[in-house]
Amino acid sequence: MTQISLRGLHKNFGATHVVKDLNLEIASQEFLVLLGPSGCGKTTTMRMVAGLEEATWGEICFDGQRVNEVPTQRRDVAMVFQNYGLYPHMTVADNIAYPLKLRGIGRAEREVAVRRAAARVELLDYLHRMPRELSGGQRQRVALARSIVRTPRVFLMDEPLSNLDAKLRVAMRAEIKHLAYELQVTTLYVTHDQVEAMTLANRVAIMKDGVILQLASPEEIYSDPVNTYVAGFIGSPAMNLIPVDVLDGRVLAENGMALQVAAPAVGPLTLGVRAEDMTLCAQPEATFSAEVFAFELLGDATMVTIKLGHTAVAIKGDKGLRLKFGETVGVRLPPASLFWFERDSGQRIRLPSQR
Amino acid sequence: MSLETAGLDRAPTPRWVKGYRTPAHELGAHWLGQMMVFVGICAILLPISWIAITAFKTPRDVYSLSASLLFVPTLDNLRTVFEHPWNLGSKIVNSFAVALGTVCLAIPMASLAAYAFSRFEFLYKQALFLAVIASQFIPAAVVVLPYFLMFKEVGLLDTRSALVLVNMSIVLPYAVWMMKGFIDAVPLEIEESAMVDGASRARVIAEIVLPAALPGIITAAVFSFTLTWNEFLFALIISKQDALTLPIGLIGFRTERGDLWELMAAGGILITAPMFIISLLVQKQFVRSLTAGSVR
Repeated sequence: MTQISLRGLHKNFGATHVVKDLNLEIASQEFLVLLGPSGCGKTTTMRMVAGLEEATWGEICFDGQRVNEVPTQRRDVAMVFQNYGLYPHMTVADNIAYPLKLRGIGRAEREVAVRRAAARVELLDYLHRMPRELSGGQRQRVALARSIVRTPRVFLMDEPLSNLDAKLRVAMRAEIKHLAYELQVTTLYVTHDQVEAMTLANRVAIMKDGVILQLASPEEIYSDPVNTYVAGFIGSPAMNLIPVDVLDGRVLAENGMALQVAAPAVGPLTLGVRAEDMTLCAQPEATFSAEVFAFELLGDATMVTIKLGHTAVAIKGDKGLRLKFGETVGVRLPPASLFWFERDSGQRIRLPSQR
Repeated sequence: MSLETAGLDRAPTPRWVKGYRTPAHELGAHWLGQMMVFVGICAILLPISWIAITAFKTPRDVYSLSASLLFVPTLDNLRTVFEHPWNLGSKIVNSFAVALGTVCLAIPMASLAAYAFSRFEFLYKQALFLAVIASQFIPAAVVVLPYFLMFKEVGLLDTRSALVLVNMSIVLPYAVWMMKGFIDAVPLEIEESAMVDGASRARVIAEIVLPAALPGIITAAVFSFTLTWNEFLFALIISKQDALTLPIGLIGFRTERGDLWELMAAGGILITAPMFIISLLVQKQFVRSLTAGSVR
């Protein structure tokens, strides 16, 4: 039930400016994901919230009260680390019980709480094992159980799933989402995986070079990216970003092909369009036509790749579709689902209808 | 012959096939290696077994060639060394007191110092750590004189406390250096994890870092104990009568009546026995911690 405010937060490591003037309000009970590539400052931001890193400048507030000077152990946050951070010399039960032990809670009460937390993540059979006797997924669950054994003011999760294999990651993702829903504790979650961010978050903050580029709900980030970086980061496959030149009202692709669309500006632009928004059609109705560069079966759909100059463009097709390499296909770009960006700055150019 | 087995036929015949003979050059190399190992083992074990045997001989048997292996064992020597004028009993007590005292003081101090060197950033950290290690390069014979004078001044000569203090000067740097390595190997993440869970720095060290580094601490403790237990030079110069330790007791057996080999051997057994027992007890731990960190 804690609301977190980060105001004008800066962090320098020597000469490197890792976090730059970060302002972020995390609502009570919100699940906020910091998403970005490695080195973008997302983990540093989380560590500052935990108190493991001192802010160079700026203010961190929990429920309006400045906590910059409150040492980690008194901030009452729970954190799940990328490498789990389990105590190697303690059993699973002792690991989970440690936060309670530190708070002077009696043995009997601790045991009840440990069993409750362990049951939540299905660890009851492993309470007497040592961490080294567990698999990666089980260790991750111990770390989760330890963070939920008490009710902290804030949950912090630092890439908790990145050391797990793909299958387990999907399963644990669902568990984390369910836990967050059940416990209703404000959660700050750091990841570089856009799928994790999209599936877990109430809101996503996309970071790059220590700055938040866009802070919005997953739907909004997907459907209304502010620049080419966000557009290219989110979605799988990511949005197609086609460099075009607009001259005399004609939109020319790299290879000189004219695209039959209306551009909002002139000069070098980037045209963004998602794979699923394009349709394949007969050539007379097409926005442009091109040869099939690659054709892949995905099971529930097909993926057609064509090339416009050097730019590969992915188009999602029907699952019944079958195409040959080199075959010429027509592609239609629906005007409503096109995104325009300035080529150099990457900034979005909004059409009147998109404002 | 079918095609499938044609290739197998040309493969080298395995050793377990009946009638296979190892080539002569391979056999030669094998036995040469075995011989070298044997010679090495003998070089190490013969003196030790000679001492072990001599300790149970009568003075007459010690010098008798015919009784070198066949003799009637006696426990007289082990009794004699505890009697006047040898009094090894008090020397054993002194040795234990000094060694345990040193370990009990040095290990907690070294733990904290090693933690600081491992985790904190402070001015001249590298230089300071180098200085700690470098203090080992000064020969004991050089520092023993100042120690002697200092202890004389404060009336600590010939006391166990003095020996503990001097031994600390040898043991501490080693222990700090060893334990820094072991604490370095404890991931920082579990410390941060404990801090987030609500532990103060003191509790993090006491409940997380030191237990996680326990194999290393035991190793350092055993090492320190051994170093102190066998220490000779300082004990020789600083103790005179009351604080004599076992190694000094041993040279007492070189008398004007000649070297009393059987008594010296008995003393040798007494001095080796605790080390032997400790090494048996902690062997597993020792090996594990010495190899820890090599494959992380």
